[in-house]
Amino acid sequence: MRKLLGMTIVFLLLFVGLNAQTKEVTGKVTDESGTPIANASVTVKGTSKGTATKNDGTFSLIVSESTKTLSISALGFESQDISLTGAFITVSLKAGESKRLEEVIVTGYGSKIKKEITSSISKVSSREFSNLPLPSFEQALQGRASGVFINSGSGKLGQALNIRVRGISSISANQQPFVVIDGVPVISQSLGSNTEPDNPLATINPDDIESIEVLKDAASSAIYGSRASNGVLLITTKSGKQGKTKVSAGVFTGWSDPTHKRQFLNAAQYKELFSVAAENVGYVGADEFAAETGTDDWNSNNDVNWSNQAFQKGYVRQYNASATGGDARTKFLVSASYNDQKGIILANRLTRGTFRINIDHTINSIFKFGTNISLNQSDNYSVPSDNAFSNPLQLNAIPPLHPLRDANGKYNLATLYYNNLVEREDNNQTLNKTFRSISNAYAEINFSKTLRFRSQVGIDWNNLQENQFLGRRTLDGAPDGYSYSNQVTANVLTNTNTFNYSNSFGENHVVDALAGIEYQKGQSAGASVTGLAFPNDKFTKIASAAIISDGSSSETGFRFLSYFARANYKFKDRYLLGASFRVDGSSRFGKDNRYGSFPAASIGWIVSEESFMRDIKAISFLKIRSSYGITGNAEIGNFGARSLYDAAAYANISGMVTSQIGDEKLKWENTKQFDIGLDFGLLNNRISGEIDFFTKKTKDLLLNVPTPAVNGYTIITKNVGDMNNHGFEFVVNANILTGAFKWNTSFNISTYKNEVTRLVAPVSPGSRTLGRLAVGAPFGQFYGKKYMGVDPENGDALYMLADGKTTNSYSSAVDTVVGNPNPDFYGGWNNHFSFKSFDLDIQCQFVKGGDLYNIAGFFQSVNGDYFDNQTVDQMNYWKKPGDKTMIPQPRLYDGNGAGKSSRWVQDGSYFRIKSVNFGYNFSRTMLKPLKLESARVYVSASNLFTFTKYTGYDPEVNTLYVGNVNLGHDFYTPPQARTIAVGINIGL
Amino acid sequence: MKLRNKLLLLAFVSAAIFTSCKKVLDIEPKQSIDAASALETDQDVNSLVVGAYSVLGGGSLYGTNLLMDADLLGSDGVCTWRGTFQSPRQIAGKAMLRDNADAALIWTEAYKAINMSNIVLNSLDIVKDADLKKQLEGEALFIRGIMHFELVRLYGLPYGAVSGNTQLGVVIKTKPTTTEADAFEKTPRSTVQQVYTQVITDLTKAATLLPEENGVRATKYAALAFLTRVYLQQANYPAALAAANTVIESGYYKMNASVRAVFDNKNTAESIWEIQQNEQNNAGTANNGMATFYASLPGIGRADVRVVASYPDNNYPQGDLRISEWYYIGTGARPGNTYCGKWKSFSQNLPVVRIAEMYLTRAECNLRLSSSVGATPADDLAMVRNTVRTNSTAPASPTLNDVLGERFIELAFEGQRIHDLRRLRLATGSFAWNADKLVMPIPQREIDATSGVLVQNPGY
Repeated sequence: MRKLLGMTIVFLLLFVGLNAQTKEVTGKVTDESGTPIANASVTVKGTSKGTATKNDGTFSLIVSESTKTLSISALGFESQDISLTGAFITVSLKAGESKRLEEVIVTGYGSKIKKEITSSISKVSSREFSNLPLPSFEQALQGRASGVFINSGSGKLGQALNIRVRGISSISANQQPFVVIDGVPVISQSLGSNTEPDNPLATINPDDIESIEVLKDAASSAIYGSRASNGVLLITTKSGKQGKTKVSAGVFTGWSDPTHKRQFLNAAQYKELFSVAAENVGYVGADEFAAETGTDDWNSNNDVNWSNQAFQKGYVRQYNASATGGDARTKFLVSASYNDQKGIILANRLTRGTFRINIDHTINSIFKFGTNISLNQSDNYSVPSDNAFSNPLQLNAIPPLHPLRDANGKYNLATLYYNNLVEREDNNQTLNKTFRSISNAYAEINFSKTLRFRSQVGIDWNNLQENQFLGRRTLDGAPDGYSYSNQVTANVLTNTNTFNYSNSFGENHVVDALAGIEYQKGQSAGASVTGLAFPNDKFTKIASAAIISDGSSSETGFRFLSYFARANYKFKDRYLLGASFRVDGSSRFGKDNRYGSFPAASIGWIVSEESFMRDIKAISFLKIRSSYGITGNAEIGNFGARSLYDAAAYANISGMVTSQIGDEKLKWENTKQFDIGLDFGLLNNRISGEIDFFTKKTKDLLLNVPTPAVNGYTIITKNVGDMNNHGFEFVVNANILTGAFKWNTSFNISTYKNEVTRLVAPVSPGSRTLGRLAVGAPFGQFYGKKYMGVDPENGDALYMLADGKTTNSYSSAVDTVVGNPNPDFYGGWNNHFSFKSFDLDIQCQFVKGGDLYNIAGFFQSVNGDYFDNQTVDQMNYWKKPGDKTMIPQPRLYDGNGAGKSSRWVQDGSYFRIKSVNFGYNFSRTMLKPLKLESARVYVSASNLFTFTKYTGYDPEVNTLYVGNVNLGHDFYTPPQARTIAVGINIGL
Repeated sequence: MKLRNKLLLLAFVSAAIFTSCKKVLDIEPKQSIDAASALETDQDVNSLVVGAYSVLGGGSLYGTNLLMDADLLGSDGVCTWRGTFQSPRQIAGKAMLRDNADAALIWTEAYKAINMSNIVLNSLDIVKDADLKKQLEGEALFIRGIMHFELVRLYGLPYGAVSGNTQLGVVIKTKPTTTEADAFEKTPRSTVQQVYTQVITDLTKAATLLPEENGVRATKYAALAFLTRVYLQQANYPAALAAANTVIESGYYKMNASVRAVFDNKNTAESIWEIQQNEQNNAGTANNGMATFYASLPGIGRADVRVVASYPDNNYPQGDLRISEWYYIGTGARPGNTYCGKWKSFSQNLPVVRIAEMYLTRAECNLRLSSSVGATPADDLAMVRNTVRTNSTAPASPTLNDVLGERFIELAFEGQRIHDLRRLRLATGSFAWNADKLVMPIPQREIDATSGVLVQNPGY
């Protein structure tokens, strides 16, 4: 093997020798205490030509005679430029952050220093979100990554969240980004059978993550081809570091409560409102209440705050430990953690146990291999769908006059609506267990300094076990108990083989290139069974059921075979050129369109390297970049292109029916994206930032095209829709104070404007929802009757007519645009302060615009139209002629103001102090007697304060049961949790 | 060069891993099968015919809508719709909108069954067994025939409403859809006359191909029984008489002693053809199914179709067992009102044609033609109404009205009423037999999907 190495060096010498006279430079890199730093990067400044230090910190490099400066950098140290003075150079690096521009950014199948990147990538590194009580790691991106809009949807633990990178790029296919962990594409879509999707990514330990890169533009994401239209999240887990073995352990514990609770009527207010409401239509409130509820609770002294019964005091506890270390040849990381979160909504709890081992081993200068193995288990005690009577938040509809418990001390079931508290008694339970391993193994062969081969096999293995038991007193468990069990095993196997080539030709030409082939195989299989009728509620498993009422098993799968290549060229350290190309073949595509091509190209110009910029001292860095490319969305269902037959039973005889007619040309959805951006650094990079403009034109959206039913089928799925997104992103980072008291701040703001430009048929709002799809309108635009307040003369609810005038006739009012659930802009403002041993992080997040529609307004804020308890604002109802109010005259059963309208549309803007972390670091002298390397105690908080005009529970809301077109809808949706935790981290 | 060789080898190996198997991207679905391989054996084609029966048994066809909606169209004085579902409400009120869901579902499911029949007829070459081939062809023609017949009765003005029956009927489909292009084909409506001609052709041929006995599936006599209905609509009494007589004289069917038996038990002697259901597979228990809409029993039924309280007593002979056996006061949803007791169980079979109807048809035709083919009208009427079965007696010399009256009460709530009213040119409420509002709208989605090649009915 030495021969090979020797040969390579000869080659290198030859290359260099052809161009210029050369000289050899040798040296040694150490830290401030003189300890050698291995693997530090030593490059000729402004080129990628260079080497890495050996274990003893030494290096040797052949450079051209004209070379004057070397750049030295190492992870965890500040980079340094060294002038070539003598033949042997000694460098001591200061510990600290490497500068932003030298920061390594993970890209698809590789990495690159930020300075040379010509595409648009947002990076969030572990430092920014460590020690925060995050329900799942994606929430770390909220307010931190520009161009990434995140709506957690609700405060339910383990529930899917809405992540949209640069707007919305699909209608019927997936809208979430593609997720890749350590090069392994993973399952990020719900596997469960509940109406509301769960979040499989909640099983991943945020503390294992080193960085999250979001590939936003086509130049960065097109290397992932047909799965990149919604952006790509690249998750890199921590890896072992050379040096003394470092052990760290942490524990935190915290408490949570809802960000906001709503106020409903108390007993006295309730009786007042409904007495008036009944009287206004000639009824007697007490009589009607008795008739509707079948109780005489109207005359009781009960005054129960039902809405608060939905909540509990939550907690969060986490224990984690890790060890990293290694020598020049073998590096390792071992980590384990246990996280237990009790939600703020009754019965909601999520626990997560994780174990990880990452090992890298270098056999010699040619061969290297490694593996990342993770094993996770999570238990999700989930909350029912928002629109289920069993959703605890729906308790707020129960009149305060009903007692909580009956005469026997059991929960009272004689209530207007189902008292789902009964599901907290006995053995009722919904538990979804996930076992998951996302692991990979790789081998690398360095054929030469310039050419490397890497082969990686990765697997995401996911097993979900859903179990539910409902006893005989529950709504769905009556009369004799109900038990459901569902098992899903999904796995994705990925094999990636890549060649990497990088070389420089002379001083001015630097080239790196990548070529690869990837094969992916996904499979999912499930089996479920339902049992009814148990001897009593102590028996909960289906083995004890008298009736096996339902059972099923199913299986599905997909394959991808891909070829890709990428090349970057840098000329004179300032002109950058990049191009990539991927071909994806997939089993999902029709046989006439099996392979899709996804090219992208980018250019960059580091203006600040030009001589004419040298004198402008204020501008320390300036780069203009632009990219264009095509990406796809292949999350179109596994067999959409096929003509299919299903099995169908005719009583006891099994038969076969036609189920789908397919389009053999069916393919991915196509997005063409253009991006232009600017990266800048001012005042010696004390202020730095990025500005990006993008336009995304998505074509071939998958839609169901209606066919004449006389031909036996009503729809055929085809690529026919178009949609555009455009927007801008702005990020600025500044080191405002750099003395003993340090203050770094980072601010980002992003926008997207979405417009649907082609549909087969508009999608109209549902009977209770407002979201629609129409050509020329943004995705999910609110469309319906416009509420115009109350007629002061008679208390009638008023709506807008086509001519802008008002009417009290709901049916003659015109349907019009009444809102837009997409935000005008959104972003974050993050601050890091430190003073001596104290540090403080304050992260804020905001959304401007983004209308919300409270579907439940029809029941809870409708001036006593029916006996649902009402929100307190309804007490301001119209009482007498001349009253000016927005609350119509209460008229029981009469529907005054009860029609679906903009009455319940509100601005969803908010500003949130999303997370705060205040810590104290013990000094070395204090720790020495304890034999500790480091110790930090901290207090952290999430969702500490929220500023909004939204009167519902929480402005970050998106009920999921209404489907993806109805964005920003609220329906008894639980609020976010505000969590405050204290913790300690120690290092050995 | 050594390095180069290694490189080449590696490239070769990695390339070989993936290119060796070109079919790497071909995977087959598991819960479904591809149309290309669905029909390869006798069993496959037979399965498709069974599947077509399951479509017929679905809630959109005989499982609910073809029976219930026909009753609701003729509901005046008989029953009322009390439920919250808008589509049946519109049907009962003869105020259907163009987007009426039931009208859309009947249409799409009927044509789904027709398409499956056409696929079967197109795949007969696959069937090796000659007897099975004959049977499957007969069944496919039977299904295609009765579906076109049900459609033309609901979506076109009645036979005879326009001279020469040139009023628009429905689309005649005799070609299967197998490609995307087929699926987009736009075919205009044929006239009522053309549809009836097609129906008679299909059912007549089906009657010659189908076996006399065929388990729970359609027989020669089921086809003939449907032909009697077709001929009655056309007022072709001699043909109806002949067909009804053949069914009766076959000897395969006889009246049950109990009026409840045909509804409570499965596949009784009285039944010529019925939809099969069981606990697992039925038209529905919550949003579809006859018992779902008609029953008011503890835990069963929404009690949406309420019988007019005076209807049983005013229409059945005093003391007739059918009053007490077929009507009851509800004890489930909307209790305390009168409900029809023919539909009490989610899993009961649904008789579509039973021998009682054949006796009544033969009696009617004999009376009209002053003949007594097979038996006298009096004897036929007595087969239906007698002391054993109904605890009442039939008139010794019945008039046409006696026979028609018996037909209405015997077949009440079995989806026959509106069709009998229209062929007899009788009004329901204020709607004349040929009123536009008694005709269902062509689904709006269908007019949109054909860019107007399908023409909407008058009145919509």
